[in-house]
Amino acid sequence: MLQQHHQQQHHHHLQSAITAAPPPSATTSTPPSSTTGEAPPKQVALAMDRLGQAARLIADIRLGADRLLEALFVASQPHQSSKPLHLFRQEDESMRQHLQDLRTVGKQLEESGVLNESLRSRSNSWGLHMPLVCPDGAVVAYAWKRQLAGQAGASAVDRTRLALKAFTDQKRRFFPHLDDEEDGEGTDTASKKHRNLPALAEDNQDNLSDCKTLSDVLTNMEKERPNLKVSTYERLDWLKRASSLPASANDNTMEAPKHNFHGTSILRPALQNVASMDKVAVIELFFPSIFRAVVSLHPAGSTDPDSVAFFSPDEGGSYMHSRGSSVYHVFRQITEHATVALQYFLGIRSKTALHSLLHWICSYQTLFTKVCNKCGRLLAMDRQSALILPPVHRPYRTLSVSKHSSTQSISSTLDQGSNAPEAYHIGCFSDNT
Amino acid sequence: MSVVYCHIFRRLISYNPYRKKSTTMPLKRVFFWQPNAGSTVNSQILNEVSQCVESINGVKEGRWKATLTFYKPMLRDQALSAEFPREFIGISLPEQPNKYYFVLRFNKIVLESDSSIQLIMEKLQSYKSRVALNFEGFQYQLGDFQLRVGKVVPSHSENLRGIVMEVEYLPISSLEKSKQIMEEFFDIWQDAISKRSLPGRFIHIEPDFSDYGLADHYTSQHTAVQYTHVTSQLIASVQAVQTGRN
Repeated sequence: MLQQHHQQQHHHHLQSAITAAPPPSATTSTPPSSTTGEAPPKQVALAMDRLGQAARLIADIRLGADRLLEALFVASQPHQSSKPLHLFRQEDESMRQHLQDLRTVGKQLEESGVLNESLRSRSNSWGLHMPLVCPDGAVVAYAWKRQLAGQAGASAVDRTRLALKAFTDQKRRFFPHLDDEEDGEGTDTASKKHRNLPALAEDNQDNLSDCKTLSDVLTNMEKERPNLKVSTYERLDWLKRASSLPASANDNTMEAPKHNFHGTSILRPALQNVASMDKVAVIELFFPSIFRAVVSLHPAGSTDPDSVAFFSPDEGGSYMHSRGSSVYHVFRQITEHATVALQYFLGIRSKTALHSLLHWICSYQTLFTKVCNKCGRLLAMDRQSALILPPVHRPYRTLSVSKHSSTQSISSTLDQGSNAPEAYHIGCFSDNT
Repeated sequence: MSVVYCHIFRRLISYNPYRKKSTTMPLKRVFFWQPNAGSTVNSQILNEVSQCVESINGVKEGRWKATLTFYKPMLRDQALSAEFPREFIGISLPEQPNKYYFVLRFNKIVLESDSSIQLIMEKLQSYKSRVALNFEGFQYQLGDFQLRVGKVVPSHSENLRGIVMEVEYLPISSLEKSKQIMEEFFDIWQDAISKRSLPGRFIHIEPDFSDYGLADHYTSQHTAVQYTHVTSQLIASVQAVQTGRN
C-alpha cells in the first residue's frame, strides 16, 4: 500500500512535471542534444520521439498500477497460492523501471526545452521551434504552428465579429422590436437624440447610423420638422382613415395635438405605443394646407419603404394610398417623380432609404412658394403635358440628409436662400440633368 | 315684425359667429373687366377673352351660372326702412346647388343657408327682389386650374353689363399658401391677353375676408363675398361711365 501510494505520488509528480514548467534539474543524465551540433529539425524530431516515449511509459505505468491493485485484491482472497505474490513482485519491478525511464525522458525533454519555452530565445532555430507542451497539456509540435493557429484563431475572431455585426444589422432592420433586449451599438434612443454628428456629404450613411429603427426615424423627423404631422397606421386602419378624409381634415388642423406621431386616427383614439411599431405599415406625412404624402412599409414595422404617393391636403377617399393616384395633376406628377426617387434611395442608399425618402418628401413643403432654380418662375407651362404646373421636381441624387443642412433649409424657406432645397419644373429639370 | 323675421332667419340659417366652417373648397379669385376710360364692355371682348383661354390650352367643359339679387324689405311703413341693412344681397353659386348665400356688405356679415330660403322669403313676402344679376358663361379646365368666363347681365335682359372671370386652383384651399400661385397664373394670363390689345383689363381686388369672420381655408362663403364686391365695383364703373356721358 505504501508502495502504491508512493507510485501514485510519482505518477502525480510526473504528471505535474509534464503539465507544469519546473526549473531544469541541475544533474543531467544525458547531455542536452540541443547544445551539440544537431540541426533544429533533428532536435525537433528527437523531441517528438521522446514525447512519444513518455506517453507510452505513462500508459505502461497506469497499466502496472492496475495490475498491482489486482494482485493485492487476489492476495486478499482466501485459499490462494503464492501466485499473487509472484505477480506482485513482477509488477513492482516493471513499474520501477517504467518510472525510471520516464524520469529520464522527462529530464531529456526539460533540457531540450520542450517543457518550457527556453528554446524560443535561441537564435539558431531555422524558424523552427521545439515542440511545446503547453500548460494546459496540449502538445504543439511546432511552437510557430500555435502561432499560426493563433493567427488563424485571430482572423476567425475577426470574421466572427464581422458576421455578428452583419447579423445584428439585419436583425435590427427586420426585427426592430427585438432591439429592446440588445445593449451597446447605440440602440439606446436617448443617447441617439443627444448625438451631434458632423455634416459630411460623403458619409451620409454613417451619419444616419443612429436612425436604424422605425421609431428612431420618425422621432428624428418630428424633431427636425415642427410643422409636419407624422402619423403611423396599420394598413387596414389607414384605409379607414383615407375613406374618412377630408371631412376630418379640417377638424384635425384645429384640434389635433402637435405631436400625433403615436397615432391620431380618429377611429382609434387609443395611443399607439412603441410595442405595436412592428405593425406599422403606413406613414402619413401631412403638411397642413400643402400636401399629404403616404408611404408604405414592407414588411410592416421595418424601415423599408416600398411605395409613396402624394395627395392634396383636401383630398379623401379609399383611393388614397401609397399606390394610389391623386386627382390633381400636380400631385400626380410629384408621385411619379417620387417613385423614381424611391427606387434611387433603395438602390444606392438602401440602409437609410426611409430616412432619405422622408427628408426628400419634406423638401416639398415649399411646393407652392419656391420658384424654379432654372427659370426663376413658380408656374410654367409644361410642354409635354400642356399643363401649368409649379416646380414639381426636387433633386434626390445630391440630397444631403445630415441634420445640419436640414435645419438650415427650414429657416431659409421663407427667404428662399441658396441653402433651401432646389426645385425645378419638369422641363427645366430634364435640361439640367 | 322685424323680430319675427329675425327668429325665422336664425332658425333657417345655420348662423353661428363662432363656427364659420363650411366645406373647404379649392380657392378662387374673381376678376372683373375694367374697361379703359372712354370704352365700354361688349361681347366682342368676351369672345376674345374666351379665345385667349383656349390659347393657353383651356378645355371648354360646360356652362355655368351664378345669380346675385339685391333685396329690399317689404314694409308697410317705409319710414322703418332705415332700420334695415342698406345692402342685403342674396347669391346662388353653381358649385353649391343646395345653398343660398346672404351678404350684408356694410355689416360685414355672410351667411350660408339652405336654398329653400328663397321660397320661404317669397311666401312670407318679407323681402322683395330689387335688382337681380346673372353671371353666366363657359367653364374651362387647364390642368389643375379651372377658369370661368362669364357675362354679367340683368335678369330678364340681354344687355351686357360686364365681364367676370373666375380663376380656381383646385389642389389646395389655403389662401395664404396659394397667393404666389394665383399671382403667377395671372401674370401668365396677362401675357396671353395683352397680345390681343383689348381696351381694358381684368382686375381682382381681394376683399378683407377676416372682416367677415372668414378664415384662411377657402369656402363658398368667400366666393359670395367676392361676388358682392365685384358687383359693387361693376356698378361703380358703370355709373362712372354714365356720369362721364352726362
